[in-house]
Amino acid sequence: MNKKVLVVDDDPDVRTFILTVLEENNFIPIVAHDGVEGLEKIENEKPDLVTLDVLMPRGSGIRLYRKLKTDPSLKHIPVIMLTGIALKSFMRSQKTLSEFQGEKVPAPDFYLEKPVEPDELIDAINKSLG
Amino acid sequence: MKIKKLLFVTKFDDLCYNSLNSLLNLTKASLEHVVFLNVIEKEKVAMHRGAGYIKEEEVKLKETANIRFIDWAENLFELGLEVGAHINVGTLIPEIIKTIELEAPDLIVIGRSHKGRLEHLYSRSDVTELIRRISIPVLVFKHMNEDSIVPEKLFSRPLLATNWSKSSNQAVEYIKDIKGLIDELNIMHVTDEKNLKSKSTHSVQKIRKQERKKLDDLCDIFEENGIKTRSHVYVGDPEKEIIKAGKEYQASIIILGSSSKTSIIERWMGSITRAIADNSIFPCLLIPSK
Repeated sequence: MNKKVLVVDDDPDVRTFILTVLEENNFIPIVAHDGVEGLEKIENEKPDLVTLDVLMPRGSGIRLYRKLKTDPSLKHIPVIMLTGIALKSFMRSQKTLSEFQGEKVPAPDFYLEKPVEPDELIDAINKSLG
Repeated sequence: MKIKKLLFVTKFDDLCYNSLNSLLNLTKASLEHVVFLNVIEKEKVAMHRGAGYIKEEEVKLKETANIRFIDWAENLFELGLEVGAHINVGTLIPEIIKTIELEAPDLIVIGRSHKGRLEHLYSRSDVTELIRRISIPVLVFKHMNEDSIVPEKLFSRPLLATNWSKSSNQAVEYIKDIKGLIDELNIMHVTDEKNLKSKSTHSVQKIRKQERKKLDDLCDIFEENGIKTRSHVYVGDPEKEIIKAGKEYQASIIILGSSSKTSIIERWMGSITRAIADNSIFPCLLIPSK
């Protein structure tokens, strides 16, 4: 059965690119334009995997990632971060939030810096889905 | 009244990271979320005679803004703040309003208007236009034009200029919420010279005493909240006197209630708030009455 992949990104060009790559590789793409819509789609659609941008309107990927990884019903969903934000900043922010909130979250399955090549993305998706 | 979420509107030549940095003290109060907005004016990318819509220019301008925002966001994320960004093509004020509807911020931060006197006369300043259309406090920065250094502690020495209006009273509530950031607060009221025209010294002194008493009562409210406060009565033209007090007491920011004059009066007569926000060297926090 084809796997459902949720793409959370505010950039229409990036969404179009990822959607095309996913469709060509027999995945079922779903899109969300920001962190708030992303969470709604995750809860309603229960995707098999999420690609997640960080800097977006209405809720960043950093907070959405934390919500995902601290929710017992959602934390099994693999997440591939796909962003222009440096990995170092992402990890530091998670460390700061972990200190505030007293709850640690694991590192994402993959952290890809934009722009990403189609092969690189598909390889990351396949590995994440095991 | 808490400032949890701020909308930082930048054209990059008016507000930069140092301005944003000076606001980060607000995290000690209640700031949790910063949203960036860059509006690319339509004229820059569309409707050029013979060229039509210039997609390449839009991509270039959007990516240039995105690179700056990513850089700023990395710093803020590392502090544990939530960060968002909007890069829109359109007209400044409508795009700000659209973003306000989406994000519901508690404070808007913008640079001073770049319009000239004639443009102000016919189209109003961006600040005036914005204040008329929203009910959220607006912080106006203007340091870039004066080449002055942004105060590291923007809220350390605020000057509250009160005219006892509803919006001035609202400002009191905002100040209480940022009490932890304030070293010393100066509060002032400007009495109109007309009020002092009298044959007897006694009646003039009475007016001064009344104003002083009201200011002292306000001082007590702030002192009860742990804010060291001094009060001052000035006489004369409010715009000039407020700026004078700002200089005399080395204000880091001027806090004012914003007027609710009708647009036609505002356009032709001007308002004290607009004049200070547009013309003074001080950052100004404008509090609406709604």
